[in-house]
Amino acid sequence: MNRRPGLVLLLGWLVAIGALGWYVRHELVVGADLRLYLPSPRNEEQRLLLEEVGQGPASRLLLICLEGAEPALLAEMSQAMVGTLRSDPRFRFVGNGGADLGGLPDELLPYRYLLTPAFDDQPLDSTLLAKEMRNRLKDLASPAAGIIEEWIRRDPTLEILRLAQAWQPSQGPQRLHDVWFSRRGDAALLLAETTAAGFDPGKQQEAMREIERAFATARRDRGARITVTGAGAFSVMMQERTQREATLIGTVDSVAMILLLVIAYGSARSVALGVLPLASGGLAGLAAVTACFGVVHGITLAYGFTLIGVAQDYPIHLLSHQHRGITPLDNAQAIWPTLATGVAGTCIAYLAFLFSGVNGLAQLAVFAIAGLAVAGLTTRILLPRLMSPDTRDCGASEMLGRLSDTVDRLPRPRWLSAVVASACLAVILLAPWPLWESNLGALTPVPQSVLQQDAALRSELGAPDMRYLLVVHGRSAEQVLQRSESLTPRLDALVEGRRLASYSNPARYLPSVRTQEMRRAALPGPGELREAVTEAASGTPFKPGVFDQFIADVARARELRPLTPQSATRTPLGARLESLLTERGGNWTGLITLGGVRQPNALARLAGSAENDVVMLDLKAVSEGLVAQQREHILRALTVAAFLLVAVVGIALRSAPRAARVLQPMILSTLLVLAVMHASGISLTLFHLMALVLAAGLGLDYALFFERAANDPIERRRTLHAVIVCSISTFIVFAVIAASSLPVLRGIGLTVTLGVVANFLFALLLARSGSQATDARA
Amino acid sequence: MLVLLAVCTRSTLAAEADAAALIARLARPAPANTRFVEARFSSLLARPLVVSGQLTYFAPDHLVRRVDEPFRELMTIRGEEVVVERDGEQPVRFSLKRAPELLGMLSSFGALLAGDRTLLDRHFRSSLSGDDVRWRLVLTPTSDRVRQKLGSIHVDVERDAVRCFTLVEPDGDASLMLLGDTAPATRPEPLERGWLEALCSGVAP
Repeated sequence: MNRRPGLVLLLGWLVAIGALGWYVRHELVVGADLRLYLPSPRNEEQRLLLEEVGQGPASRLLLICLEGAEPALLAEMSQAMVGTLRSDPRFRFVGNGGADLGGLPDELLPYRYLLTPAFDDQPLDSTLLAKEMRNRLKDLASPAAGIIEEWIRRDPTLEILRLAQAWQPSQGPQRLHDVWFSRRGDAALLLAETTAAGFDPGKQQEAMREIERAFATARRDRGARITVTGAGAFSVMMQERTQREATLIGTVDSVAMILLLVIAYGSARSVALGVLPLASGGLAGLAAVTACFGVVHGITLAYGFTLIGVAQDYPIHLLSHQHRGITPLDNAQAIWPTLATGVAGTCIAYLAFLFSGVNGLAQLAVFAIAGLAVAGLTTRILLPRLMSPDTRDCGASEMLGRLSDTVDRLPRPRWLSAVVASACLAVILLAPWPLWESNLGALTPVPQSVLQQDAALRSELGAPDMRYLLVVHGRSAEQVLQRSESLTPRLDALVEGRRLASYSNPARYLPSVRTQEMRRAALPGPGELREAVTEAASGTPFKPGVFDQFIADVARARELRPLTPQSATRTPLGARLESLLTERGGNWTGLITLGGVRQPNALARLAGSAENDVVMLDLKAVSEGLVAQQREHILRALTVAAFLLVAVVGIALRSAPRAARVLQPMILSTLLVLAVMHASGISLTLFHLMALVLAAGLGLDYALFFERAANDPIERRRTLHAVIVCSISTFIVFAVIAASSLPVLRGIGLTVTLGVVANFLFALLLARSGSQATDARA
Repeated sequence: MLVLLAVCTRSTLAAEADAAALIARLARPAPANTRFVEARFSSLLARPLVVSGQLTYFAPDHLVRRVDEPFRELMTIRGEEVVVERDGEQPVRFSLKRAPELLGMLSSFGALLAGDRTLLDRHFRSSLSGDDVRWRLVLTPTSDRVRQKLGSIHVDVERDAVRCFTLVEPDGDASLMLLGDTAPATRPEPLERGWLEALCSGVAP
């Protein structure tokens, strides 16, 4: 081969890789919304579920726990943190239980008489005022009078305090030193609602950093620890861990691969060239996803590279089959039908994921198909023109020859396939636990210990739990607020009956216009109120005229137009409402979050009796339905893909028995891996399914090559060399992944590692028929 | 000049010794129990509120104030936490930090009942007036935060017993607490602050 054109070709190839890299670098937007990996919703409930998962009030909550110091110090830190974070635009709300009288801006203060339910049952008259005044006198007689003394003139019934308490998102935890504390009294608790959605790790990371900064300032040099949980904290944690582990795994795997290739081929040039198809494939895959989708999820990147790792096998086949006496181009041409069948088969399998209805999986499919196709084509077209024609002939190795003979002598009982297949099927069908993982949570893999911590904090704080939710529909905000108001007495009854620990509905923050108007109409006129105040104060030590500000506030309240979601936008109330009351295309939805649900049935009955406008959402049930539905969809697509695959192999080999020999190892291995995982109690997720397809693709490759070289003993050795190098390299890569601490990566690693071993052995035994080899020698 | 300074220093030292000795005479073993009558004057009120009950001092961070008349209320300060209980109502809890008046009362009480001058100096600047038999200690909180709510505390003493304990707020509102036998069985109507102050200083009104 002429050196100069080779050099030009190499440069051209490198420039093309560089150009692809440049394109990807400039165009690729890495997204982090995990919902890309969740199925697309098919009905209203599922749509709400996905919205709730990503953006609902529960997913925006961060639960903060301070511990490891004296309670008084912790309380001080908690107060300092609230002070810092309240003014931060990254948070809609930050609370620690401290009654915050200043929470309502001055111009909103008169609204308290439209917002408070205090005078619904009992009018604001002299009887009520007299009772309240007696209580205020008791307050004043105490040495702690200073706390409320300044408010009494303006607010003798302490409505501001009452509202501030009602607006606390949680009524649960005990209060020590004025702030929320755990039941054991050793940890101060805070709640923060972020402005950003829960599954926006970038924004959540900023929020988390702000919390940590506020904590560092509040703590100064005193010993104390902070724990933050909640959907946002999880997405940040998972993102950081995935990145860290992916980098580590990538480094270890690259080093291992290069070492293996150097040992296998003893030539730096071969190794360097052998990396090019994979690099081209990877970048082509990325470019394809970027062009098709715009925003690429971080998971697509991480798993995409894992999936197209198969492409490393292509140059290995070429290198292992190269020997003196054949030009690399002829060599490539000779193995191409086999290689192409393998590439096509794997691509067909990934095609199934393209139609899975899950955006993220479609991205993975595009990535894998484009990447594999490019890696295959470059191996066929470009690589042979750059390779040295006289590399070490693997077929000449004595050791391989002996190994090949030993393998040939292995017993190949005819009943092997049937026995293995039926044993595996028996395990898969008979083991009593579910084969599939239905929990959506398994797809967003947060370690169990962290989840437990979150659940504990959630119950301490009485924060809404993630599972149940009441959804109120209406044509206007007013209608939703009215409907949610009408549920209040029945929800209160459930709380009283201990069937429910707490709830929070939009009307708690903003009563309907109707209710506000009703309250406004019930307020006494200035003259009437003045008389009532005078009558109530007569006989008490209160000075005449002390309550003039109060009378003025009530008079102003009588002139106010009721607050609406629109007019409340720029108030602290608006921020609380934003996540509970939303509009979409002229339809309004109100969310009633629930905490500590002990009797879901009672809630379902409540929703059922409220006509069609109130729906109880069991997010777990809906998500399980969603996952099952998606799985069925993918399995159907995979079945179609399987038929296509059989057809492709059959056409390529033009013989049914040969096709059967090639397909058998792959089918048996898949069954075996399924059986082993099921027997060890691992529930399968989509990620396992992807890994199984990957392993099957590898198996197809091995079998095709073994089957192709069935007759020539030297060529058989070369093929054996190729497949051994392929399977060892894949084994190493995925064994490292299996050692990951992230459940999803571990699942994929384990599946593929098992799959590679099984596929290699079955392909060796079933596709590389020993009897034919003996015939050929004889 | 130098002489003058020396004299001043000596007399201050002497006064210091006297003050420490006087305060030491107030020491009582805990728990210490005393009845009280408290009159609170507020700008919101035309006439003072008068309550009576019992104060029990258990430890420097544990004080119970029980009101018997004209309503019943139990206030317990323990550590950093204050709990107020009234008949037929949920107990109200708050942090001592939110009530600097209470904090001032608790710390001065503790120091006086320990008879410990140095303890007093930790939270207050003090000045002493009067003679060996009847004297008044004016305590000004050193903490700015406390001083915003509590201007000063006046402690009126006769021999080795505190007669009155007066919390003066910066805006002039005040609560006068007559301890032990200081309060007479009957009070004039209307109750004047001057009458109470005279009673505190031990001058028969």
